[in-house]
Amino acid sequence: MESAGSLAKELRNWSEVADFYRRASELYIECGRSQPASDALTKGARVLEEVVPEEAIKLYTDACAILEEDGKEQMAFDLYRAATSVYIKLEKFTDAAATLLRWGLAADKCNATNSQCKAYLSAIIVYLYLHDSTQAEKCYNDCSQIDAFLRSDQNRCATKLLSAYAEGDVEEIKHIAQSSTITHLDHVIIRLARKLPTGDVAALENNASKEQEEPLDENDLT
Amino acid sequence: MSVIDIRFRVDAICKKFDKYDVEKQRDRNAHGDDAFARLYSAVESDLDAALEKSQRAAVETNRASSAALNAEVRRTKARLMEEIAKLYKLAQKKVKGLSKDDQMTRNDLVLALQERVQAIPDGTIAPHKQSGGWSASTSRENIKFDSSDGHLQDGFFQQTEEASQFRHEYEMRKMKQDEGLDVISEGLDTLKDLAHDMNEELDRQVPLVDEIDNKVDRAASDLKNTNVRLKETLFKIRSSRNFCIDIILLCVILGIVSYLYNALR
Repeated sequence: MESAGSLAKELRNWSEVADFYRRASELYIECGRSQPASDALTKGARVLEEVVPEEAIKLYTDACAILEEDGKEQMAFDLYRAATSVYIKLEKFTDAAATLLRWGLAADKCNATNSQCKAYLSAIIVYLYLHDSTQAEKCYNDCSQIDAFLRSDQNRCATKLLSAYAEGDVEEIKHIAQSSTITHLDHVIIRLARKLPTGDVAALENNASKEQEEPLDENDLT
Repeated sequence: MSVIDIRFRVDAICKKFDKYDVEKQRDRNAHGDDAFARLYSAVESDLDAALEKSQRAAVETNRASSAALNAEVRRTKARLMEEIAKLYKLAQKKVKGLSKDDQMTRNDLVLALQERVQAIPDGTIAPHKQSGGWSASTSRENIKFDSSDGHLQDGFFQQTEEASQFRHEYEMRKMKQDEGLDVISEGLDTLKDLAHDMNEELDRQVPLVDEIDNKVDRAASDLKNTNVRLKETLFKIRSSRNFCIDIILLCVILGIVSYLYNALR
């Protein structure tokens, strides 16, 4: 079935490519071999990345699901990484962030703390790139619940980044983006981080302060 | 008889015959009641001793011992200056049996002695070739209370120039060290990240390697079995009885073929 898939790729028969690879993976699952099943889906996704990225993403996510069912999350890291990069290429940042959080979850299950913390930091950066500091802070708060992230280098970097955003200090943001912690992340994320800050950081700061003023007004009224 | 005994005996004999020592008697008689002359000769001998010590300090390579010798020389000098003050007073006193000229010369003698005492080098004037302020501690100038202000200011300025130069150098070195430490810290960060990733990668590969191990074990035992069976089969095939039978049958076949060939020709 896989050879049929690669032949279809040569023929540029894209829908058939996906179908062939899916059929191949189903057959593998029937044999009870999950790893080759996910491998087949990955191959199909890689082939379709350039041409039909949405299909590729679907294949990637299905592959990840198969591995997670089988308890082999470690193998899924590469798939998550590929899926994230495709999402970012498509500029679907919220989906990218969601994938990163799922990656973090998978890393948590197999106690890969370094990958987990990196995934969370990448998610925060993606939200900041969207110029959505509230989302980023929410994400940060969620991640802080996790012990391993709280104790890590990446957490410190995230705190610095968020405080720099809160203060509207562009220089500081640029300086943090150059730091070694961010350089160790995936290169797609590094590119996003280097482009920070997007938009007007001062405006963000005004919004934040305005939000703080409203509760005071309520107090005055009552 | 040991050396100590000899020494004691010699000392006793010398003491006994001291009154016959011509030179000693001459000195004592010469100075006799003259306190000035006595003090003068004492100061002179001390001065010579101090001069010798300072010369030794100059050639001494060990800084600690040279510093100690210099300190001793300085102490001796201070003491000698006090004695010279006493000498001054004595010089004014009139001594019988001394001419007026002699009295005058005594003052001059004391002055000359004072100059000689002050001229003894005692390591306070160190050369200024050392950089920074390290020489500041050794090249402390003599604190004079009644010296003119201009003189003081000059000395002050030199000190602060050296001190500021030293401070500047210290700041530069600190900055360079900080830069170096930054580079090292970046390198260490990268190493830490690499190590973490390697750790996770190895964790990932542990179950894979276990599986490989099992599969390879199975394959190895299969191969062993196959080999054994192959050996048995080969033995059976190559047994000599089968060989002879094969040769005979071959000859028979050849015979039949040649007969047929002849018959058909």
